[in-house]
Amino acid sequence: MKRNTWLVLVISAWISSLAFAFTPKNPECIAPAGAGGGWDFTCRSVGQLLFELKLVPQQIKVTNMTGGGGGVAFAHVVAQRNEDANLIIAASPATTLRLAQGQFSRFSENDVRWLGAVAADFGVIAVKADSPYKTLGDLMAAWKADPSKIAVGGGSAVGGQDHMKVLLLAKAAGIDPRQVKYVPFDGGGQAITSLLGGFIQVFPGDASEVRAQFEAGTVRVLAVLASKRLPAPYASISTAKELGYNVEWIVWRGFYVPKGMPIEAYEYWSNALKKLGQSSQWAKIRQDNSLGEFFMAGAPFQVFIARQVSAFRNLSKELGLIK
Amino acid sequence: MDTLPLLANGFSVAFQPLNLFLVFIGALVGTLIGVLPGIGPISGVALLVPLTFALRLPPESAIILLAGIYYGAMYGGSTTSILLNIPGETSSVVTTLDGHQLARQGRAGPALAVAAWGSFIAGTLSVLGLMLLGPLLAQWAIRFGPAEYFALMVFGFSTLSALAGKNMAKALVATLFGLMLATVGLDPQSNVARYTFGQLKLYDGMDFLVVAIGLFAVSEVLMLLEEKASGATKAAVGRVYLSLKEFLFSLGAIFRGGILGFLIGVLPGAGASIASFVSYTVEKRFHGPRGRFGQGDLRGVAAPESANNAAAGGAMIPLLTLGLPGSGTTAIMLGALSSLGVNPGPQMFQQHPQVVWGLIASMYVGNAMLLVLNLPLVGLFVRLLSVPRWFLLPAVLAVSFIGVYAVNNSPFDLLLMTLFGLVGYLMRKLDFPLAPVLLGLVLGNLMEINLRRALAISNGDWGVLFSGPIAITLWALAVLSLASPWVLSRFAKRGSLDDAEV
Amino acid sequence: MAMRSKRAATDRVLGVLLLGLALAYGWAAKGLEAGFISDPLGPKTFPLIIAICLGLSSLYLIARPDPGPSWPGAGFWPRLALVLASLTAYAYLLVPLGFVISTTLEMALLSFLFGTRTWKGLAAGLIFSMVVYWLFTRGLGVPLPLGKILTG
Repeated sequence: MKRNTWLVLVISAWISSLAFAFTPKNPECIAPAGAGGGWDFTCRSVGQLLFELKLVPQQIKVTNMTGGGGGVAFAHVVAQRNEDANLIIAASPATTLRLAQGQFSRFSENDVRWLGAVAADFGVIAVKADSPYKTLGDLMAAWKADPSKIAVGGGSAVGGQDHMKVLLLAKAAGIDPRQVKYVPFDGGGQAITSLLGGFIQVFPGDASEVRAQFEAGTVRVLAVLASKRLPAPYASISTAKELGYNVEWIVWRGFYVPKGMPIEAYEYWSNALKKLGQSSQWAKIRQDNSLGEFFMAGAPFQVFIARQVSAFRNLSKELGLIK
Repeated sequence: MDTLPLLANGFSVAFQPLNLFLVFIGALVGTLIGVLPGIGPISGVALLVPLTFALRLPPESAIILLAGIYYGAMYGGSTTSILLNIPGETSSVVTTLDGHQLARQGRAGPALAVAAWGSFIAGTLSVLGLMLLGPLLAQWAIRFGPAEYFALMVFGFSTLSALAGKNMAKALVATLFGLMLATVGLDPQSNVARYTFGQLKLYDGMDFLVVAIGLFAVSEVLMLLEEKASGATKAAVGRVYLSLKEFLFSLGAIFRGGILGFLIGVLPGAGASIASFVSYTVEKRFHGPRGRFGQGDLRGVAAPESANNAAAGGAMIPLLTLGLPGSGTTAIMLGALSSLGVNPGPQMFQQHPQVVWGLIASMYVGNAMLLVLNLPLVGLFVRLLSVPRWFLLPAVLAVSFIGVYAVNNSPFDLLLMTLFGLVGYLMRKLDFPLAPVLLGLVLGNLMEINLRRALAISNGDWGVLFSGPIAITLWALAVLSLASPWVLSRFAKRGSLDDAEV
Repeated sequence: MAMRSKRAATDRVLGVLLLGLALAYGWAAKGLEAGFISDPLGPKTFPLIIAICLGLSSLYLIARPDPGPSWPGAGFWPRLALVLASLTAYAYLLVPLGFVISTTLEMALLSFLFGTRTWKGLAAGLIFSMVVYWLFTRGLGVPLPLGKILTG
């Protein structure tokens, strides 16, 4: 009799713990690249602040899992951690772009669940400070006249984010994407070095990447690829849209989670992100790291991702990057 | 010049008790990390960045700690090359050639000590250079375009004959094998996966560490296991200090290596590995047949070890003056700095003088501390050779596993390492030199990508490769480096043999 | 004369194998097709050059072989195979068994092969891997697998 009571108690406690709140145990964030990179930053800054705001009970452990531009981590999550309720994985448009181009072998965007985005960087079109192209119009006119004269160098591979930015711009201006001369460098830093050395003429980087050079006056920013103007120091720079080229590139920073994660856990994590997104501490971290405001979580984010991947897929086909 | 007050200010930052303590800890942990086989400066700094965040240090203290680790790991890197014939990083590969020979002859002590002195002198030289010539040299870094890098890589490969053993054809095959490994992975210029066999894990290419540990460490264990069957000889511990005569004998190599290393280290992307290859070759060519390079010449340790430490200082120049990372390690430090709220860039000297000058001052302090720390450690490290093999070798492998596994959290890398262990064993049995494989792997990628960048920019015009004074100079140096064995041997016949016996 | 040619045979065989490798590698390179956005050289030029150079070098090896190596006695090959197999097993078992257990086993095996007593190798391996595990995970904050056996 006594034993039965205990059993009932234990079971009911177990059921109520399922029904009410989920609390993560040994939470982990996978950064699908090495320490010091963008994904690593996403994991560490968000993980740290979630703990400080007491939105998670424990420190979030950060695991760096390099390989295949995030593909190794993606495959790991789908194949081995599909049920894990204590795992979030850093992501960005680099993830969705590679998914769209089929670079994560057989995996697709539907093999995971998309959690949310907490900040964004924005694409910019930068030239050297003493470049003859004073405005985006100058550049586009010269480019249209002879595409072989303009070497564009970016920090990502062919088909990657920096390449996509210029292809979109070329498309908007009626330049044949095949004529675009794109030279990939090993990271934005090397591309900027080549821009300053005069080896390439245009760098389609991100606002945070060129900020130091822009403030020092060694680089001129012709346009920002955002829907509205960015805050200082870019407040005076027009968006591409204002200048007549309807091109946007939002480098959102966010997360996906395993598809088999229980719904309570998913709710828990997206609520935690929402609270983080509203905090003043997060606003400060964003500003310190030159990141813009961009927030989305839960269902709307899943819709956003689905649209983005299919847009990227169509675009890549149209531009001849995939068959 | 208003450098002095700024430097004085920097020293006041560096001498704050916390920072002094961090320099010490960084130097110590860096040395220990660097000494561990399989963990070099890049992985050392990468693995310890999170720790720096967790300690919630102010930015200048954090960067001082990371720089200490970086420097310490550069110091420590030579130790495994000399004692165990295992390079933990690209820039210590050539150190194995003469360093391990010296160790086998019972002169591990002097070899380690000359590496420490060389690192100290060259390191201090490079901090001086960084302080006085920083902005000037930053301009030199910017002038290096794809064509110049390609010429530099050709120059790098022209040093190959210095690394070759008896049979040039076999050295060539080894280099080509390295080049083949370099082509594995996603080709950034066409987005085509090459030789990946559908493995996502191969998309980023072959990791240097995995290949190096397999080829050198695992195969070393296999070789010794075989040797054991036929009665092994233990290496003598020998003398642990460096005699004044040896010091003076190596001083020229230290200065030449230091200056070369500094200049090459400034170039983003090229860095310490090319610096060490080139300085070794220059040293070998400089002395011609009078040297005993390849059979245990102290200068064969002094030159590359001075060069790679000077290169570490040189690599700070693009980072501090332009905010552009010059090497894998500085790229990680750049990421760490921006996460700490310091945006490295042209204005960092104005916006964050306490960070920049504190760092520069702490580099002086760190260098001195490393020397004081490392010279006594030489005695300790040399005694590692008297640890019984049944414990030393398995322990070395166990630590190597961490280096291979922990960086990418990938068991797959351990499999690759095993495969390269077998390849390395067979190569050794068949008299193939191992160092050229790593030369091919490291320089191959840079060579191909820069050639293709140059041609893409010039719309396919090959003339671009010879279009600037820097490129032409490098081509001339490459030709000179290839021709010099013949030219120098003419001179050397008349030279004396006296210094070969030291 | 007969002796000499027998000893040189190793390099000849190797030369033929390398030639095969060069052909396979070059053949695979020919199949590398870039989409229509690419650079003047494309992804296959460099591999093709490497394949040609390797082919020429292997022909040279066939024509001018070195004297053969001194191979170890037959007793060594099973030991070599054992070490390689144990390293392969280590790669697969590291995550499930955890760093300490799998490293202890690997070290014990190697110590045994280097000729020490089994218990000595096991003890040394256990102590060493525990110390290293503690140093890395606690001291440096570098995560190493704890093992699914221990965590359940």
